[in-house]
Amino acid sequence: MAVFDTPEEAFGVLRPVCVQLTKTQTVENVEHLQTQLQAVSDTALQELQQYILFPLRFTLKTPGPKRERLIQSVVECLTFVLSSTCVKEQELLQELFSELSACLYSPKSQKPAAVSEELKLAVIRGLSTLMHSAYGDIILTFYEPSILPRLGFAVSLLLALAEQEKSKQIKIAALKCLQVLLLQCDCQDHPRSLDELEQQQLGDLFASFLPGVSTALTRIITGDFKQGHSIVVSSLKIFYKTVSFIMADEQLKRISKVQAKPAVEHRVAELMVHREANWVKNTGDKLTILIKKIIECVSVHPHWKVRLELVGLVEELLLRCSQSLVESAGPILKALVGLVNDESPEVQARCNKVLRHFADQQVVVGNKAFADILSESLHSLATSLPRLMNSEDDQGKFSTLSLLFGYLKLLGPKVNFVLNSVAHLQRLSKALIQVLELDVADIKIVEERRWNSDDLNASPKTATQPWNQMQRRYFRFFTDERIFLLLRQVCQLLGYYGNLYLLVDHFMELYHESVVYRKQAAMILNELVTGAAGLEVEDLHEKHIKTSPEELREIVTSILEEYTSQENWYLVTCMEAEEMGEELMMKESSLQAITSGAHTHQVTSFLAFSKPSPTICSMNSNIWQICIQLEGIGQFAYALGKDFRLLLMSALYPVLEKAGDQTLLISQVATSTMVDISHACGYGSLQHLINQNSDYLVNGISLNLRHLALHPHTPKVLEVMLRNSDASLLPLVADVVQDVLVTLDQFYDKRAASFVSVLHALLAALAQWFPDTGDLGQLQEQSLGEEGSHLHRRPVTLGNSTTAEDIEQFLLNYLKEKDVADGNVSDIDNEEEEQSVPPEVDENDIRPDVEPPLPVQIQIATDVMERCIHLLSDKNLQIRLKVLRTLGGKCGDFLRSRFCKDVLPKLAGSLVTQAPISARAGPVYSHTLAFKLQLAVLQGLGPLCETLDLGEGDLNKVADACLIYLSAKQPVKLQEAARSVFLHLMKVDPDSTWLLLNELHCPVQFTPPHPSLRPVRLRSAPEQQNPYLANVRLLLRELQ
Amino acid sequence: MAAHLSPPPDPQFVLRGTQSPVHALHFCRGAQAQGCPLLFSGSQDGLVHIWSLQTRRAVAALDGHGGQCVTWLQTLPQGHQLLSQGRDLKLCLWDLAEGRNTVVDSVRLESVGFCKSAILAGGQPRWTLAVPGKASDEVQILEMPSKTSVCTLKPEADAKPGMPMCLGLWQADSSPRPLLLAGYEDGSVALWDISERKMCSHVSCHEEPVMGLDFDPEKARGVSGSAGKALAVWSLDGRQALQVHGTHELTNAGVAEVAIRPDRRVLATAGWDHRVRVFHWRTMRPLAVLASHSAAVQCVAFAATGGLLAAGSKDQRISVWSLYPP
Repeated sequence: MAVFDTPEEAFGVLRPVCVQLTKTQTVENVEHLQTQLQAVSDTALQELQQYILFPLRFTLKTPGPKRERLIQSVVECLTFVLSSTCVKEQELLQELFSELSACLYSPKSQKPAAVSEELKLAVIRGLSTLMHSAYGDIILTFYEPSILPRLGFAVSLLLALAEQEKSKQIKIAALKCLQVLLLQCDCQDHPRSLDELEQQQLGDLFASFLPGVSTALTRIITGDFKQGHSIVVSSLKIFYKTVSFIMADEQLKRISKVQAKPAVEHRVAELMVHREANWVKNTGDKLTILIKKIIECVSVHPHWKVRLELVGLVEELLLRCSQSLVESAGPILKALVGLVNDESPEVQARCNKVLRHFADQQVVVGNKAFADILSESLHSLATSLPRLMNSEDDQGKFSTLSLLFGYLKLLGPKVNFVLNSVAHLQRLSKALIQVLELDVADIKIVEERRWNSDDLNASPKTATQPWNQMQRRYFRFFTDERIFLLLRQVCQLLGYYGNLYLLVDHFMELYHESVVYRKQAAMILNELVTGAAGLEVEDLHEKHIKTSPEELREIVTSILEEYTSQENWYLVTCMEAEEMGEELMMKESSLQAITSGAHTHQVTSFLAFSKPSPTICSMNSNIWQICIQLEGIGQFAYALGKDFRLLLMSALYPVLEKAGDQTLLISQVATSTMVDISHACGYGSLQHLINQNSDYLVNGISLNLRHLALHPHTPKVLEVMLRNSDASLLPLVADVVQDVLVTLDQFYDKRAASFVSVLHALLAALAQWFPDTGDLGQLQEQSLGEEGSHLHRRPVTLGNSTTAEDIEQFLLNYLKEKDVADGNVSDIDNEEEEQSVPPEVDENDIRPDVEPPLPVQIQIATDVMERCIHLLSDKNLQIRLKVLRTLGGKCGDFLRSRFCKDVLPKLAGSLVTQAPISARAGPVYSHTLAFKLQLAVLQGLGPLCETLDLGEGDLNKVADACLIYLSAKQPVKLQEAARSVFLHLMKVDPDSTWLLLNELHCPVQFTPPHPSLRPVRLRSAPEQQNPYLANVRLLLRELQ
Repeated sequence: MAAHLSPPPDPQFVLRGTQSPVHALHFCRGAQAQGCPLLFSGSQDGLVHIWSLQTRRAVAALDGHGGQCVTWLQTLPQGHQLLSQGRDLKLCLWDLAEGRNTVVDSVRLESVGFCKSAILAGGQPRWTLAVPGKASDEVQILEMPSKTSVCTLKPEADAKPGMPMCLGLWQADSSPRPLLLAGYEDGSVALWDISERKMCSHVSCHEEPVMGLDFDPEKARGVSGSAGKALAVWSLDGRQALQVHGTHELTNAGVAEVAIRPDRRVLATAGWDHRVRVFHWRTMRPLAVLASHSAAVQCVAFAATGGLLAAGSKDQRISVWSLYPP
């Protein structure tokens, strides 16, 4: 671009313009000069620098009033020259500096002259450019004591501009310029760093400005948030750079006690500052006030870049002025820790970087003063924490807790100084306990139930998917989820750095002290352990020795023992009646049924008033207590990892028990705890976890069976275990079954129902583990079924074309099949008997006089069935039917004869005798016990007939007894139940059922398939009065 | 009294899995120092199970007696060595160090009797073993590990105490002479001086065969249980004469084994009535009846420290109790 490369050429062009300007000082001439200058190369310009500057400086210096516009254009032109050239002479530099500063000087006042904003901006830029154009070491010679008055003038001028100007642009430019003047420019044009002596001289010089600079900047920084973040950021930067330069410990320690006499005139000498101890102390005190103000204001500044700069301040001041500004260390550290949890990730990251840097340099821990200050701050924070937690809003709580978190993080292992003080530990814990108080008014928690209590293992199955989240909890004193997170982090840090024994003891005491504290204390204990394991804690103190795994296990063991103890684990979470299970309900209701009609209502009221019922709130609180403890167990597992396996012997049983709890929340949390445990211990699935630790479960089950009244849910745990086990556990199962049966023998009257379901589960498990080796039985059954349906279909296929031979053949076939079938059935029975005894038993047994011992599974089954026989005569009908179903489902053959001989006649008899009564009864009858009995028997008979595979005679007995209930005179519910019996009978023996029904009522006329056969006469009653009509029709339609 | 019965105590845990009646129990002493206590159990099917009391699981099963009942177990103080006596007429010495489970030596027994063996072992490599002898009333003393026979202790011809049923070896601090206590089939207990090979004292304690005995050298007092309904406490005076101190009637007959806790505070008996009874050893006051087994208890053992008691039963379970921890 440059057209004139040599000075000679350039001179030729510039000379007339310069002369012109010197003669006539107008804006146009200045602009003309600037235009010409643009065509001159930098080297030529440098040669002609003084020559070109002359008319410009002349214009500025010319006395008399001047137009602002002219001055502005001169300054701009000057700036242009300076930006392309270097100032090589100290004198020129100082003169230009003075001349430029003077442009803004107002002779009347201390304030900047009231000139246009454009001019101000031009001058500020000019100054900035000038300082940058100083060549090499010239800049250092500039800062000699004699410049002090002029420099001071410029500094105050710039400060005034930065503070008072309206234009943001000017403010920024003024601050930038100030930065340059104070030699803190962060641009790339300052290659050389200062040596010690130079630093000291500059420090001495700048020290004179410190009061002015620091107070003015503080005013700017703590000004309105609306002034824009960049101004605050620049001011902050200048503030801490200046302070850290002048107050640098490095410099101060070398300063001699006596001031060397400066070789300057008296006026200037007066301005000079000697930075001796006293001065440092006084200045430090004053700065502390300013720093506090700044931190107070900036730490809550809405713009993150400002807070980010605050971290810079902290770093700079703590690193460079830790001694001179020791008084400020408290607030500075507080600012830092307060920002550790800043909402802006940038600030957080910077904070953590600084913290790590400090830790590496041992800035805090290595510095006793800092550690003391931090401990002191933590002390005072602990003192005020309960009050703050009580009075502050969520935002306030969040910042207070952030501060606490930061202190803990920074103090690291030294946190124990504070914890060892009983008073402070108490304060701290009181605050945590207080703020963590849960809101337990939510009634839904109590209400929500797991209804399918039979299918206990349904939840573990679904839970193989990752458990999504911790149950949302509601706190009394805050709603912000971040606060809870922060509290957890605080507790984890305490657990990580603090003396774990001390903390656990302390919170365990609170746990014991009152129900009011218990949940919070448990939450805190859980986090302490998680923290102690150091899995989620970012450690700034690398030399910190963690709690050893053995110690941690010991501590966890003791907490676990406490959590699962009788009084902390078995809390009332629902109304007593539900808890006791259905059998009690049954008793109550039957009792009521006798005395009154409207029993359901009475039962509930009776139960409600019979005991001082726990309030919803206390039950809700208990539910949470259990959930928190369950979660804790999951966290313990997480903390201990595979080491937790050693605790499974005491932890697994209680958790599994809760997985079957009726309260939805508890069972969900327990299930997720199981998932946590199996992850932590390295089991692939819940089933593995249960299966491989069945011995521990069995131990728990068998011990608890000894005190069944205290542990009513024990059978449920066994049930779950059985469902998740396989044949390899047979010896263990055989062992515990003995306990179960012995206990059952003691509790026939009270808890039979829960045992029957265990026995059911047991037989189901046995049947599954040892599948019937003789599939013959099933095959036979199938073929029989086919034959049955074959026979059944036969009448339909017998069309008109049927011949006599067909009929003869049919009859012959029928007789033959009947024979074979009869013969086969008995054969198969024998075969089955033989096959159920494994052959190796016979081989091993040498003594012929001793009966071969039965295989274990068969022995178990026999034992179970013997007990069930007793239960068949239980007073409680529900249990009788449950037993029958249990046995019927799993061992039909065994039971059939017994059922037919003893049970069926009684059931049938009772149905027959009750039928006339129910047929006559009014609507109230459906509320009586008698009705319920009838209904239960009718509902139960059908499935039994089918599963027991009853013979023809017994089926007839059943059919006869139920037939009467098909009458329209019977209550509708009984009719329905009776129909269900027949539906089952149809499956067992369709032909005879068909015949029986047709004898009651025959909707179609039968024509014989062959004329040689006589027409069939069925003795059905006439249609009009036939009360069976409707039901029979319904059933026959099913048969078609 | 009946109205104030406190609920029966529970075992701390129950070890399952021997799948055979348990006949012998012994707490390992050596490994306990390493914080991983072990319990050995011998069962009717000839297996010796090693149980970790930390995980409460069997860590190994030793099969060295050909399926014949293991009747006695003992560890040597020197280290990881276990002695097991079986009905197969073999006494095996197992090396258990570093996870090895091998028979390093065995002693052939000459008698099929019920008598359990006894050892006297200190820090020295040489130790003494007492085993039932060839003739039915003899006790044989061996020097181990060389297996050299030291002597055979046979009652005088007119004494006729029957078979020895249980043995106890000990050596008073003051004297270098090892002594042997033996309970006999006729219900008597005898004290033998091994060096002199003579019976120092012989006292009749029970009407039924003596099933188990234990001795407290400090108090010079011992206790024996028999198939009958009584426990006998006897003492030894300065002239090495046995004197019956008293008998204690039991509710049900039959004691399979008696054991005094190493700290000599309590005494436990294994009862055929499925129960373990605990007595105060000094006063013989009954302290507790531990009922958790569903068949005869056949052996009891105390851990050296920590107050753990184990009881093994015909019901194939081993119950472990924490009683009055010291």
